[in-house]
Amino acid sequence: MAAATVIYTKKNHVARITLNRPETDNIINQQLAQELVDICRGINQDDDIYVVVITGAGDRVFCGGSELERLVQRANTVEVSSAKLKDAATKYNVATSVASIDRPVVAAINGDALGWGLELALSCDIRLAVDKARFGLPQLASGLIPMDGGTQRLPRIVGRSKALELILTARTISAEEACAIGLVTKVVAQEKLASEVEILARAIAGKAPIALRYAKEAINKGLDLTLEQGLRLEADLYFLLHTTSDRTEGIKAFLEKRAAQFRGR
Amino acid sequence: MSDFEVIIYEKKDGIGYVTLNRSRSLNAYNIRMRDELYQVLTAIKDDPEVKVAILKGAGEKAFCAGADLTEFLTAPSPTIARQVRWERDIWGLLLSITKPLIAALQGYVLGSGLEMALCCDIRLASEDAQFGVPEMDLGIIPAAGGSQTLPRVIGGAQALEVLLSGRWLKAEEARRLKLVNQVVARDELLPAAERLANKIKAYDPVAVSYAKQAITRGLDLSLERGLELEANLADYLIKSPT
Repeated sequence: MAAATVIYTKKNHVARITLNRPETDNIINQQLAQELVDICRGINQDDDIYVVVITGAGDRVFCGGSELERLVQRANTVEVSSAKLKDAATKYNVATSVASIDRPVVAAINGDALGWGLELALSCDIRLAVDKARFGLPQLASGLIPMDGGTQRLPRIVGRSKALELILTARTISAEEACAIGLVTKVVAQEKLASEVEILARAIAGKAPIALRYAKEAINKGLDLTLEQGLRLEADLYFLLHTTSDRTEGIKAFLEKRAAQFRGR
Repeated sequence: MSDFEVIIYEKKDGIGYVTLNRSRSLNAYNIRMRDELYQVLTAIKDDPEVKVAILKGAGEKAFCAGADLTEFLTAPSPTIARQVRWERDIWGLLLSITKPLIAALQGYVLGSGLEMALCCDIRLASEDAQFGVPEMDLGIIPAAGGSQTLPRVIGGAQALEVLLSGRWLKAEEARRLKLVNQVVARDELLPAAERLANKIKAYDPVAVSYAKQAITRGLDLSLERGLELEANLADYLIKSPT
């Protein structure tokens, strides 16, 4: 069996996923996609994980796209592209898998996030990036469109007009511009990324794990509902949380002015 | 309505002023406040003399620092609490008011306080305002609509970051994220809110309420249905004798 293309570690309730093909820009191939899909499935079954961090190996690229995109880029013509696409056994539904994780997912964008790589980052909940990172969905330049959620998630994050501009021009933008349009939450220097992500992950992992899942569900699912339906969802999840012992502990701890000890129950 | 304890309601020149008045408890939201607010909001909704309302906090330190937690552990069972929530749907009432609501935010704007502000249409903040959703530290999620209104105002990713980390925002960051429309000096807060209210109340109140409905209800519709809504509302305006 080939060496793992994804490194997966777990510590203090934080799961870390590292795309590990630095010699090829961490691009997604069949093996990496399969490993990532399996890891995501495992996370949903592991109650010990409260928050997930996804990053890329090396200090240059988060994820430069996919093997499929590279194949098509090398193919010159749309006809050859189509043939190659048909040959590809499957799309790599990595973004779909990551989006199905029910815990909060933080993208630690350590370098360029392009094409499929940006689509992967878009499926995370919170994005932090290094100042040198570049972002783009350049698929149109090779006769393709984004196919792992990019055409749906990008406009929901940066607005329709900006999304159309970026996808139709196949333009690559800087981290600074990405932050200005809300594509990433925060931009930091390369050497600061690990510590910033650690602070955020620890802050999240200190909260009650069931409440974390419900908060993510309320926000992400709620944005697909009318406000009225969303308010119903929020209230139902809220009253369900009142059946947990973590909620009792949380309020007691606050009134006693101490840190709460949450146990995920 | 003179027997209010924790709300002050005043009406002046077409503007309704709602003041959360528990300044010793940082205007924390409690059951009493819910019941009094319910009456006041009903009055604002029904009173044709009120064209626009301003929500503000009493004292110097807070708009509202959240829910009064001392009442939390006395709550009935979750099933009964759920029933009560919809029997007296205070946030649904607030969101159903078709007159413009302006929130004047100072000091602590936390938890339910921020959620109340998010049910308003325009948010002004003073430079000392601080915003946060600390619910996650209690093992719960927001319950006054915050998980729905916050992402609709600042976007899903920003809302998740603020909610999940429990991080507080200062006024300037709140403005950058479009959580508040404008930041002003502390002594300018009420005057700025009043200038805005005076400007709005000078317009035809039916047109104002239609504009609010077209925008807020339209955001829940497909573009096609939203355009129909707009066309219908405009049609009523043109045909109705004023």
